Parts: sequence; structure tokens; C-alpha cells
Amino acid sequence: MPTVLALAAEGGITVNGPLVVASFDLFGITFNLTESVIVQWFVILILLAVVLILTHNMKVVPETKRQAAAEWIVEFFTSTVDSTMGNKYNKYRPYFMALFCFIMVNNLMGLLGLRNPTADVSVTGSFAIITFFMVQVNRAKTGKFKGYMKSFVEPLPFMLPFNIIGEFANPLALTLRLFGNMVAGMVISALIYFALGNFAVLVPAVASLYFDIFSAVMQAYIFIMLSMSYISSAECED
Amino acid sequence: MEPMSPETMKILANAIVLGASALGAGTAMIAGLGPGIGEGYCGGQAVAAIGRQPEASGAITRTMIIGDALAETTGLYALVIALLLMYANPLLGNLIK
Repeated sequence: MPTVLALAAEGGITVNGPLVVASFDLFGITFNLTESVIVQWFVILILLAVVLILTHNMKVVPETKRQAAAEWIVEFFTSTVDSTMGNKYNKYRPYFMALFCFIMVNNLMGLLGLRNPTADVSVTGSFAIITFFMVQVNRAKTGKFKGYMKSFVEPLPFMLPFNIIGEFANPLALTLRLFGNMVAGMVISALIYFALGNFAVLVPAVASLYFDIFSAVMQAYIFIMLSMSYISSAECED
Repeated sequence: MEPMSPETMKILANAIVLGASALGAGTAMIAGLGPGIGEGYCGGQAVAAIGRQPEASGAITRTMIIGDALAETTGLYALVIALLLMYANPLLGNLIK
């Protein structure tokens, strides 16, 4: 390596992608088991434990605080989905509740010193791909074949290429919004630690309060709100 | 002036690409202006709307958050480009041999 590059590599900070824990070949394709996947398994275990604790031994009239908390959470998502998508989309409630909880706990993993799984474009991309297919399925279901095809040439036939690009721009924007916010938090925290050196006392805590807690919950909420409005606006009128 | 040796030229070329990439990454973040103006306008309008109709504050806040998120997108595109230039430089691959 030339000396200029070596000097640049020594002094600066680096932001690495997720570590590859193991990789194996299957049908000629290499599958990598990355840090993100391991942390997501951990998140699934946390959520499973929380759900089992909250819903254990439920009564018709809530007696415990656990059950009241569980009911409040379900109530919150019911009202959020109903007010954004309307009553006829009540089948989507459990999905959006699960998605919100999963993304939020994933975002909060930075607090435990783990690498955020959502600071990995393949994780956020997979969430956005699910939304993309839900949009397509909802449009095909409400409009049947004719309405589905017609929705691409509305309002005028020459809009066809723009409509198709727009169809793929939505999941791309969803992916990059979550990914960009989480990576920005990671990079800015790394920069603050690098700049302060041994004097990193109070400032990183304040930054972490914003990036690891406020931004984490906010981005999860924004992700589900945008997914909901994309899905409900894909409905064909006739 | 003596002609440069191939080794020196390679180092010089790498230095130019690195410097230009750093400048490009910084310049890309000028795009942060747009989301700043957009989110400020969005927040200001939301405050005005809540002042007019305090009882609708829940719905207004929800809509404002969505608007903020959409305004933020272009800034995040710029951030992704800046990160690519800094940590996964596509231009440097052609030079280091």
C-alpha cells in the first residue's frame, strides 16, 4: 500500500460492516452468517420473553399491571392502524405491531453495545421488500388484473415509466431512511468518541440519548406509518 | 524538471483521488440544507395548525412526523453517497495495483 494511504488509514476512524461469523456454500452460492443475524436472534428471544411474561395467566377483567400493559400496547396499535388505514385493514394490525416491536428493539440494541442490525442495508432492505410485496398484493386484490394494470397508466398513459420507477423508489427510500438514520447515529457517535479521546464523559451520553433512544423509537414508528400509508393508498377505487 | 518515477505517479494519483473523494463527500452533505428547510417549514406549519385547532393536535403531529420523514429522504441519499465515498470508494479500485 502506498505511504499516503497507510497514513490515512492509521489516523482516521473506520466504520466497518457487520462481522461475518460463519459462511457456508449451498448450491454454489455463498451464504454469510453475519453479526446482524445473530443479534436479530437475540432480539427475537427478548421479544418472545416479553410476550410470554406479559400474556401469562390473563383474566377477562385485568387484575395485574402486566395485563394492563399488554392491553395498552394492543390498544395503541389497533387505534394507530385504524386511524391510518381505516377499519377494513384490521387484518394488518398484528403484522404492524410485530414489525414495530422488532424494528424498535433492533434499533435499541446499540444501547447494549451491540452493532445495530438495522445499520445493515440487507436487514432494512428485507423489511422494505415485505412492504413492497404487500403493496402489490393489496393493489392486485382490490383491482383484480384489469385494475392492477390500469393503475400504472393513470392518470395518463405517458406516465407509465414514472409510475414504474415510483413503485421501486418507495421501498428504496424506506430502506435508506432506516439504514441512513441508524448509520448516521453510529458514525456520529464514533466521531464524538474519536474527537474527545480520553475526555469522553458527558457528551457521548447526550448524543446516545438522541441517537440510540429517541431516533430508534421514532424511526421504527415512521417505518410502520409509511408502510401503512403506502399499502392503503395502493388500493384501486373501482 | 525530471520525469516522475511510476511509483511516485501512483502515489500522487491515489492522493488526488482520495482528496477529491473527501471533498466530494463534504460537498454531498450540502444536501442537508434541503431537509433542514423542509422540516422547519413542516414543523412551523404544524405549530400554526395546532394553534388554530388545538383539539386536532394528535392527527397533526402524526402527519407532521410523516412529512418530516419524507423531507429527510434526500438528505439521507446524500449521506449514503458521502459514506460510499469515504468507506467504500468506488473510484479507488481502479488505481491501486
